Amino acid sequence: METDIFNHCLPRFRLLDDSQIRRIHHSVLRVLDEVGVRIHHNEALDLLASHGARIISDNVVQIPSFLVEDAIASTPANLVIYNRDRDPVMELGGGRIYFGTGTDLPKTVDLKTREIRDTMAEDIVVSTIISDAMPNIDFIGSYGLPKDVRPGLHYIRCFQLETENSNKPIFFTAESKEDLAVIWEMAVSIAGNSEALARHPFLINYSEPTSPLTHSTEAIAKLIFCAKNQIPVNYTPALLAGSTGPVTLAGALVVAVAEALSGLVVHQLTNKGAPIITGVAATTLDMLEATVSYTSPEYRLTHSAYADLFHYYDLPIWGTAGCSDSQFPDLQTGAEYAFTLLNAALDGTNLIHDCGYLGQGFVASPELIIFANEIIDMVKRYMQGFVIDTDHLAFEVVKRVGPGGNFLEDEHTRDFFMEEHWRPTLFNRKNLPNWIRSGKKTVNDKLIDKAREILKSHQPEPLPHELKKDLDKIWDDAKKKKRR
Amino acid sequence: MGIVKEIYNSVIAGKVEDAAGGVEQGLSSGIEVDEILNNALISAMDLVGQRFAEGEIFIPHVIWSAKAMQAGMDLLKPHFSANNKSKSAKIIIGTAQGDIHDIGKNLVAMMLEGAGFEVFDLGVDVTPERFVEKAVEENANIIAISALLTTTMMSMADVVAMLKEKALFSFKVLIGGAPLSEEFCEEIGADAYGVDAREAVTKVRELLDL
Repeated sequence: METDIFNHCLPRFRLLDDSQIRRIHHSVLRVLDEVGVRIHHNEALDLLASHGARIISDNVVQIPSFLVEDAIASTPANLVIYNRDRDPVMELGGGRIYFGTGTDLPKTVDLKTREIRDTMAEDIVVSTIISDAMPNIDFIGSYGLPKDVRPGLHYIRCFQLETENSNKPIFFTAESKEDLAVIWEMAVSIAGNSEALARHPFLINYSEPTSPLTHSTEAIAKLIFCAKNQIPVNYTPALLAGSTGPVTLAGALVVAVAEALSGLVVHQLTNKGAPIITGVAATTLDMLEATVSYTSPEYRLTHSAYADLFHYYDLPIWGTAGCSDSQFPDLQTGAEYAFTLLNAALDGTNLIHDCGYLGQGFVASPELIIFANEIIDMVKRYMQGFVIDTDHLAFEVVKRVGPGGNFLEDEHTRDFFMEEHWRPTLFNRKNLPNWIRSGKKTVNDKLIDKAREILKSHQPEPLPHELKKDLDKIWDDAKKKKRR
Repeated sequence: MGIVKEIYNSVIAGKVEDAAGGVEQGLSSGIEVDEILNNALISAMDLVGQRFAEGEIFIPHVIWSAKAMQAGMDLLKPHFSANNKSKSAKIIIGTAQGDIHDIGKNLVAMMLEGAGFEVFDLGVDVTPERFVEKAVEENANIIAISALLTTTMMSMADVVAMLKEKALFSFKVLIGGAPLSEEFCEEIGADAYGVDAREAVTKVRELLDL
C-alpha cells in the first residue's frame, strides 16, 4: 500500500526578511529611547519614571529598550475572546484571521432611499442584526455613530443596542474613561461579576494614541482602565505618512510602531499580563484632496510590514480590510474590498476590522457587510490551498477516464467536488440567458434584497429579559447623570 | 421502512448498488413493476430534479442519482409490459457535425437519462444523415443536437431540412449550446432551444406533452 506524506500547499506571504524586521525594530527602539513620546497623563508618566524611563520636558518621556522588550514579553501572545455565553469564538494570536465591522461612521447610505444621510441609533440595530447573520463576521463594531444620541452617551447606547441584537463579541469605542466605565458596568452585569468578565471577555475596547508620538489624557486613561480591569484593549495609532509621520513608508512604520509599543509599555506596567491587541494603521495623506486613504497600496505595504513585525513579537495583531475610499457602493468598492481583504488574510493579522466601510471612514452602507462576508468566504477558500497526495493527484482517475472521457460522471468528482470547489452565494455564475431571465440582477441589487430579507427574518439570540432590564437601568442612570 | 421507500432513498442518495439491490429484492418479494418504477425510481428522480432546480443539490449529485435510477431500471426492463415500454420516450443525442466539444452534450444526456428517458448518444461530430438514420432506426421521439462553434451550428439546419425533405414529421429537434439562441432556433425551424442542461429536460417534457 502506498502511503502519502501529508502534503498540503498553502498561500503564504511575507514582506520583510529577518534582518529587515530587526532593522525596523532597532529603529523603533531608538526613537523611543532618543526621541521619546509625549504623554498627557501624570499617573502614566510617574509609572514610567519609576521603572527607569526619563522624563525630559513638557510631558515627553524617553523609554529605554528594556522596558519595551519587557512589555512585549509580558503581553499574552494568544488572547481568547468569548461570546456572552462563554463559548470561545476567537483565538487572537499566531496567523489566525477573524473579521468584523468597524466603528463610528457618521453617515449612512439608506437601504431604501439610497440617500446618504446622518446615521441614527436604528442603524446600529440594522448593522448588528446583519453582522449577526453573517457567518464570516466574527466580531461586531458599532459601525455607525448615531446622530440622535448625544455625545458622551452614544457609545453606551451603541454597546447596549449591539448586545441586545447579537451574541458575538463586541469591538467598541468610548469617548472617555467615564462612558467606558458605564459600558464596563453593563458588561459586568451580563457576565455576573468582574472576575467572570475578566475570565471570559466578550468585548474589546478600541482606543488610539495620536500621531506623531503623542498619547492624549483620555487615550491613556482608557488604556489604564482596561489594563486594571482586564478588559481586552486594542490600542493602535492611525498615522498619515507625509503629515503626522514621515512621508517615507519605513519612517512612517517606525513612528507608528513606536506609538503602539509605548502604549504597550504603559499598559503592561499598569498590569502585567493584561490582554491587549496591537498593531498600527500607517497610510498616506492624499496630497491633492487632503483626505485619508483607507486603501492605498502604501497602506497595504505598511500593513504587511507591521504584521511581520508583530508576528516576530508574537503578539495578537489588529488588522484593517474590507473598506473603501469610495463614497457610494460601486466598482471601486469591490476592487478595494477584495484587494484589502485578501491582503489582510495573507498578512495573518488577527482582529481584522472595518469590514463594510465606505467614504474613508465616514460612510456606512449596511448591505456592504454582506458583500464583505462573501469576499471573505472566497478569500478563506483561497487561503485553504489544496492537497497534493495520491487521492488528489488522481492518477488512477485520469487513467480510468482516459483521453476524451468525462470526469463529471466519475465517482472521484462526486466525492471531492464539495470540499475542493467553492461556490458563491451572491456573485453571479449564471449564463447570459439565465441571468437575463432571472431579472438581470447585479450584485448590488442582490445585496440590498439580502439585507432586507435578513432584517425581516433573522432572529439573533436574545439577551435574557433580566439582563435587558439591568442594561436599561444602567442606561437610564447614565442619561440622568449626563443631564445633571 | 418499506422496500419501495428504501429504493427511493437510495436513488436520492445516489447509491447505485443499494438501488439495484433494492429493486432485486422488491421484484423477488413480488412487488409490482409499476409500483417500483413510479413510486421509487421516477418519483425519486422528480425530487432530485426539483432540488437541483432550486439549487439545493449539484450536478454530480444528479448524475449519481441518475446512475442509481438506471441501475434499477436495467433490472426492471426485462419485466416491463408493453404499457411500461411506451412510457419511456427515446432521444437521439450528439454534437453537430464538425464539433467535438461534448461537455454540454454529455451533461444533457445524463440529465435526460436521469429524468427517465431512453437516450442514444451518438457521440461527437455527428453527420445529419447519422442523426436521421438512428432516429428512424429507434423510432425516436426527439433528436437533440449540441454545438459550441458558430461554424458548426449551421449543420443543425441541415438536420431540420433533411427531416422536412424526407417528410419525417414525427421527430422533434431540440438544440442547445453556448452560441445558440431562441432566435436561431426559430430561424432554422428547430422545435426547441434549451439554455442549459436543466432546461433541456424541461423542453423535452414540453415537446412530449409530459
